[in-house]
Amino acid sequence: MYYISAASTISHQPTFQNVGFSTHIEPLQETSVLLTPDYKGFIDAGLLRRMSKILRMSVACAKDCIGQAGIDQPDAIIVGTGLGCLLDTEKFLNNVLTIEGLLPPTSFIQSTHNTMAGQISLSIGNHGYNMTHTQNSISFENALLDAMLLLEEGERNVLIGAADEAIDFLNVISEKLHLQLQHSLTSGASFFILSKQKNDHALACVKDTQAIGLVNDVTGQIKDFLAGNEMKVQDLDLVLLPGTSHHSDGLPASLASLNLEENKCVDYLRFSGIYPTASAFAMHLAADKMKADKSLKNVLICNTLIQSNLGLTLLQSVEA
Amino acid sequence: MSVRVTGIGIISAIGLTVAENLRSLKESRSGIGPVQYLEEEEGLLVGEVKMSDQTLKNELGIGSKAISRTSLLGLKAAKEAWGENQHSKKIRTGIISSTSVGGMDRTEDFYKTYLAGTNPDYKLLKTHDSGNTTERIAAELGISGYINTLSTACSSGANAIMLGARLLLSGKLDRVLVGGSDALTKFTINGFRSLMIYDDQWCRPFDETRSGLNLGEGAAFLLLENDSSIDISGNKTIGYVNGWANAADAYHQTASSPDGKGATLAITNALEKSGFALSDISYINAHGTGTKNNDLSESVALRNVFGENIPSFSSTKSFTGHTLAAAGAIEAVFSILAIQHDLIFPNLNYKIPIAETGLEPVASLQTEKPVKAVLSNSFGFGGNNSSLVFSNHD
Amino acid sequence: MDNLKEDLKKQIIEQLNLEDITPTDIADDALLFDDGGLGLDSIDALELIVLLEKYHGIQVVNPEEGKVAFRSIDTMAEYIRKRKS
Repeated sequence: MYYISAASTISHQPTFQNVGFSTHIEPLQETSVLLTPDYKGFIDAGLLRRMSKILRMSVACAKDCIGQAGIDQPDAIIVGTGLGCLLDTEKFLNNVLTIEGLLPPTSFIQSTHNTMAGQISLSIGNHGYNMTHTQNSISFENALLDAMLLLEEGERNVLIGAADEAIDFLNVISEKLHLQLQHSLTSGASFFILSKQKNDHALACVKDTQAIGLVNDVTGQIKDFLAGNEMKVQDLDLVLLPGTSHHSDGLPASLASLNLEENKCVDYLRFSGIYPTASAFAMHLAADKMKADKSLKNVLICNTLIQSNLGLTLLQSVEA
Repeated sequence: MSVRVTGIGIISAIGLTVAENLRSLKESRSGIGPVQYLEEEEGLLVGEVKMSDQTLKNELGIGSKAISRTSLLGLKAAKEAWGENQHSKKIRTGIISSTSVGGMDRTEDFYKTYLAGTNPDYKLLKTHDSGNTTERIAAELGISGYINTLSTACSSGANAIMLGARLLLSGKLDRVLVGGSDALTKFTINGFRSLMIYDDQWCRPFDETRSGLNLGEGAAFLLLENDSSIDISGNKTIGYVNGWANAADAYHQTASSPDGKGATLAITNALEKSGFALSDISYINAHGTGTKNNDLSESVALRNVFGENIPSFSSTKSFTGHTLAAAGAIEAVFSILAIQHDLIFPNLNYKIPIAETGLEPVASLQTEKPVKAVLSNSFGFGGNNSSLVFSNHD
Repeated sequence: MDNLKEDLKKQIIEQLNLEDITPTDIADDALLFDDGGLGLDSIDALELIVLLEKYHGIQVVNPEEGKVAFRSIDTMAEYIRKRKS
């Protein structure tokens, strides 16, 4: 069991420093925008001026988490990102192919996937384990598993999160590739402090997580995962799913044979919009719901955002 | 607490196979030379893999579907490390690769046609994301389940090996292919030029006159197995991963700290994990990029940890160029080769010690001394420092 | 008023994305890399080299040379005038 001692999300919803948001957020409108705090309260001005959207979101959430958990330093910083620092990558690529002569280095420096984790360590002076996982739609679950391993190896508090940023060009790509997305492409960052010890701050517990690439039997894998945790589909009080184009009757077709009760299922993409690590938003949404509603004891986040990948995260209430 | 290595595979500027790489190392033959394959300024010094995308595709039996050079290089090395191994329901097998640019080479192809307005192929972009690079390798090898990619700039490959070892010890996997791959791209070449640390001459790690790095490309993979996997596979152990650590320098976005804090922590913690004494280390394969900043900071860290008794050390980037995310994996393969053949590889181009520290790397091939344990350093942007310890015993 | 110095201040603010700073906030003799001045760092130094090439057509090959030239607006203007004369 691993305790979620802090959670912080910046998204297109009023999630930041807003405990209980899950009880009153509405599905996203197409015109929604990223709701950001005044970053100056979280990030040193000297660093802030260079930071792109994904960096600002990540560092602010990280600092917010550390404040919530009341710890000086996490023992490690682990980040998952599907597409990394797209704004800086696009900017530098454009410069490489269009400018003759010397190029400004800042966007190159900040194009690497580990810029979020690096900037967090720099912002708080952290010398611990610092890792970045990037496996498209299951980057967050892979990062979460790494955090759980570290806690088993003896660390006490791990800062673990995920972030992705949208750029306009993603909309062009999705149109050209005929992706027919049912929700808008958005940006978001969610960070958590995962702790070995139970504490007063705990919102919920992570019982287990698994990331499966090139998956073939989705329902079989879900059943195995639950069985490994001595649980059946019927034991779940809530299932968070990404409602994607492979829908049928409100549930992904691949999950039809699980006989999930529809009133126990929530499509988290309706709230987060689409980005590769939206399952991290789902984990905060679930934890926030569990904190508010004690009847939610077992919650599964079933990340089928991309058909070839499956991410599973089982949360349990702190009391359970 | 060590993990067994049962297979290695590599492709780099100095060879397309393990045997070719070993031969070049023994003959002190560098792979750095004027650019041939990538469309770049004539005469630019790079460590290119001497094989075109088309030849790689043909050799690997890849059809016409878009695939990045990063995936092709990775697949070539992963296949060699995988060898004749078979899949078995009883062996939970995973793959952890690492890359810094992913499919950037194809994205550049796309973007050029996009900017020119000449009917760009959007499907090329499906190979852009780093995770796809690994998925393609996994798919060709028939691996499904645990498929992951790490991206921590120039320490990525070392981190993949570390994570693989931890997953085996935790019992999550029985067997895992770990490594990294990066293709040369205009993006990275121009990136390091914008930082003014790309040397127009042949790089000179640990030399007083060093003035930057040469980029290279390549890939390497190691096959790690636990005992139950080996019981089934019957594979011979060729080396052990005994220690590992990652630590953040938290000093600057690109530069290493003058006191080598992060590097010192990584080396110290990896040695502690291995349980080896300082004097047990026969050879250090240094990060040694050839930049003013890295080599000085790394020298300070070596001094911090080893004091006056620094083991024989060298940077092999004067052979391969700096292969970014692949570097940690390529140098892990070199570490295993050093142990298997009792070799200490030379630091080419070294003449004058760095004034501040006076450290002298090994300048010619050493064959006399037994090599039992090797420390390999990999340090990256964002102050990401990793060290690994390999040896011939558990 | 020295036009070159005023232009430099505007260019620096744009190149380095110095939010909340106006040209009048930068004294001609303020130490750019000092925390009491603008608190710039080595990445900014590289950006300033790009600035010199982009706006003034001056190439700085050795970053060390930049360190001396970029002490303040005064020294930058002096460096540009010297290189152009």
